Amino acid sequence: MNGLWFIRSKRLRWLIAGLVLAATTIVFIFPMIVAVLWSLVDPAVGWFPPHVLPASLSLANWQALFAVPELSQAFVTSFTVAVLVTALSLALGFPTSYALARRNLKHRRLIELLVLLPLTLPSVVLATGLGSVFIRLGLSQTLLGVVLAQCIVVMPFTIRILTATLSGVPQDLIDAARNLGAAPSAVARKVLLPMVLPGLFAGALLAFVGSLEEFLLSFVVGMPKIQTLPMLLWAYLGGRSSIQTYAAVVSLVLLIPTLAMLFMAERVLKQEHLAAGFGKG
Amino acid sequence: MVAVDLAPSVASAAPTDTERAARRRRRERWINLALLLPGAGFLLVAMIVPLIELLLASLGLFGLGATGKPTLGAYVEVASNVLFTSAFRFSLQIALATTLLSLVVATATAAVLQLDFPGRRLVSALYKIPLVVPSLIAAFLVLTMVGPGGMIARLLQPWGIRWPSLLHDPSGAGIVVVLLWHNVPITILIVSAVAAAIPRSVIDAARTLGAGPIRVFFRVIVPLSSPGISAAALLVFIDAFGTYAIPSLIGPAFPRTISVMMTAEFLLHARWGTASALGVAMIAMTGIVLALYHALLARSRLLSGEAA
Repeated sequence: MNGLWFIRSKRLRWLIAGLVLAATTIVFIFPMIVAVLWSLVDPAVGWFPPHVLPASLSLANWQALFAVPELSQAFVTSFTVAVLVTALSLALGFPTSYALARRNLKHRRLIELLVLLPLTLPSVVLATGLGSVFIRLGLSQTLLGVVLAQCIVVMPFTIRILTATLSGVPQDLIDAARNLGAAPSAVARKVLLPMVLPGLFAGALLAFVGSLEEFLLSFVVGMPKIQTLPMLLWAYLGGRSSIQTYAAVVSLVLLIPTLAMLFMAERVLKQEHLAAGFGKG
Repeated sequence: MVAVDLAPSVASAAPTDTERAARRRRRERWINLALLLPGAGFLLVAMIVPLIELLLASLGLFGLGATGKPTLGAYVEVASNVLFTSAFRFSLQIALATTLLSLVVATATAAVLQLDFPGRRLVSALYKIPLVVPSLIAAFLVLTMVGPGGMIARLLQPWGIRWPSLLHDPSGAGIVVVLLWHNVPITILIVSAVAAAIPRSVIDAARTLGAGPIRVFFRVIVPLSSPGISAAALLVFIDAFGTYAIPSLIGPAFPRTISVMMTAEFLLHARWGTASALGVAMIAMTGIVLALYHALLARSRLLSGEAA
């Protein structure tokens, strides 16, 4: 809290507070409100310029989420894929995190870099290579293909969070439990697990949201048979401009779990988890 | 020694201590390998195989529609066709503009956030929203405000002011605006973390020695935060350089970004060769930027070392 210590005047501080709050609201809150308005536009009336507010509101676009086949299908696909990716990336990532955090590894630094490599590669490059490989393997346009592709970009985050959590468990506690006669399985269940549970939860949340939001790899691997919500959003936003209302609904459906996660993360978890997780947008 | 082994140790029949130690080491190594294989092993295979495929396909050796004879044809095409060369220029322009602007905006915001003002906590919670918003939704949200028919255009219309259309704008301004909305928060996060780590005493010392606030900012705070600032710049640059969703939606028909050209090559025209050559070129350019970053970092370390 020392960057602008030279600003002494009380009135100036309030002025800055007002300006910053106004700017933040306009830049980050207004778009959300406008998106909600778009999702509530009555399709029979529309919302055309220069009207600043829609003339009439309805829930028709939200009902479309279940009534329009492509929307409901994409909804089910997205959440199915997200559950599978979460389970798979935790199951595959946990042993690696355990090894990275709590065992003697000769090439620890190298393995850590390897785990983060998928995040430094532009995903369009990965998508091109993967698209070609998956066509060859027959994984193209399959649910399994989409799940595996998403795991590549989701797992680095889960491994990082789990590694941070696992290495945060004090060795003294484990030694104490062992000394007091606890069997290794009991130590794992009664000491390690309760202590890493928040990290597991954070990793699962991050994997779920990461999968829900992933677009490009799913697009290249899954299209046109497997369609997730972001792919549908892309179709609604590009060209087919008449479906701005559906775009709003899909955006909000994808945003609600994400924002819920952000606020939960702010409250429940340490800031480092968040910083570790969101290295890349 | 952080190693813990939760498994009970198996009593071995080996007589000598060295033999027992060697066997134990070998067992430890196998356990490590077994632990690493599903996670790190999966990631390794899932990265290496597509990259090899990409390299081979770019040389016409492998892949869909390849003849099997080595050729540099795809690279010649990428280097000579104006569609591709302009794509490289356009992507670089967008990445550089986004990086510079987000550094400026983020540094200013981070400086303001250091100040204790009412509502600061709210602001620092709100500005993190874009961190979790995927770029497609970011494009939608920003366009509902600044796009044609967006809120700003609607609010300005009664005054007869025509808001410039940022959609399909050949300068790439619309893409940069969305990328900024998406990338400024992570930059603020990194820059303020680094700035907060500067000891108060250093600043006080500079002040006592007669430096004014502006001088302190440029001669003390900025140089001391430069590792964080450059890391943030690197992150933003790589993201902006490779972004696909945003330019594919709101970019102009010409020029197009490399990512959009690449995807069109294999999705629309099934030309995996040129798409792969573009991919290899993109990796090479990312590599050059990373190398430049490390060279710059090493040089600044050397300079500060000499000064000390």
